[in-house]
Amino acid sequence: MIEKATWGYDGNLEPLYEVEEREEEFLVTFDLPRVRREDVEVNTTKDTVEVVARMSRAICWEHWGSVQRKITFQAFRKRIRLPEQVEPEKASAIFKNGILQINLPKARRKVVVPIT
Amino acid sequence: MEELVRVVEEEGEGNKGEGYKNPIVVAGLPDVGLVGTIAVSYIVEKLEMRTEKEKCREIGYIESDLFPPVMVIHEGRLKSPFRIYGNESVVVVLSEAAVPPNAVYPLTRALADWFKRIGARLVIPITGLPVAKRIEISKPEVFAVGNSEEAVRWLKEKQVEVLEEGFIAGSYALMLRECGKRRTNAISLLAQCFPVYPDPGAAASAIESLEQFLNLGIDVGELLEKGEEIKLKARDLMRQTALSAPEMQKGVEQDIPIMYR
Repeated sequence: MIEKATWGYDGNLEPLYEVEEREEEFLVTFDLPRVRREDVEVNTTKDTVEVVARMSRAICWEHWGSVQRKITFQAFRKRIRLPEQVEPEKASAIFKNGILQINLPKARRKVVVPIT
Repeated sequence: MEELVRVVEEEGEGNKGEGYKNPIVVAGLPDVGLVGTIAVSYIVEKLEMRTEKEKCREIGYIESDLFPPVMVIHEGRLKSPFRIYGNESVVVVLSEAAVPPNAVYPLTRALADWFKRIGARLVIPITGLPVAKRIEISKPEVFAVGNSEEAVRWLKEKQVEVLEEGFIAGSYALMLRECGKRRTNAISLLAQCFPVYPDPGAAASAIESLEQFLNLGIDVGELLEKGEEIKLKARDLMRQTALSAPEMQKGVEQDIPIMYR
């Protein structure tokens, strides 16, 4: 199987991302170079998080790989399926120096087991 | 027995052949934050523009059946992704492809043998030191590991902070050891970095620290200015490199050694 490319002919790049699972939350980060805070959109559901981020200046590559003609990318787009459900309305995010960091609290509730 | 990894020196026009004057070797193989790769690519770019005497040329490449069957094309020319640049006093080793984990041992042995043969007086692998709160660090700090008493003494003289305890993993760790076995001094520079995102800021800090040993007069301003563009171009290599990190035992760098004092 040929691994999927991290770009598309639709002008979108797939950003690098990392999902860190913590006890009470998922911490998801995205690397979004050439993006300003106001151009980032984050949408979450119970089990997904989607980021669409427009670049402040499109990037254009020519004479490269299988394209061999000019191709321009204007945005990053990525949807991630989370390994367990979260509470989307409690999600929060910060954006600093091109890194988007999203905190997604887990939906499960902790139950203390009595020890007899 | 045939060597698993071979360093091939090109005899092209302008190459120096065996004419090295105890060079300092700088290596930047793909690792966390691509710190070494970004740093040495920038160094090569800057040294390619120097005057004839200081000019850095492509002088060889590394080949191995353990490497992926990949070549790279630049300006219509076919090249190995594992290349060596240099002049008589500086040699730079870089790679545009992730090093397969099963190639790390033979690769570092082959390179250490070659560094010995060319009479390298110091080998400096550049890499990153992943930190959890990198997003809050505006200027990454640089730490170092030396492979000999003499190397550690130089670090202390230059006031570079030495890693005192912990594990190190990956090609730079083995390069320090293989150079040590051949009595070649080596110092690894580790700049605080994002683990899985290309980190031009960390590469800039590493180059500034390198200046204490090499004095190349390289200004990192352009590297920082073009940081976002570099991050965009480095995405795929970062992804390849991150995929091989578990097999490279990179996680062990976060562990505490049992004999910690």
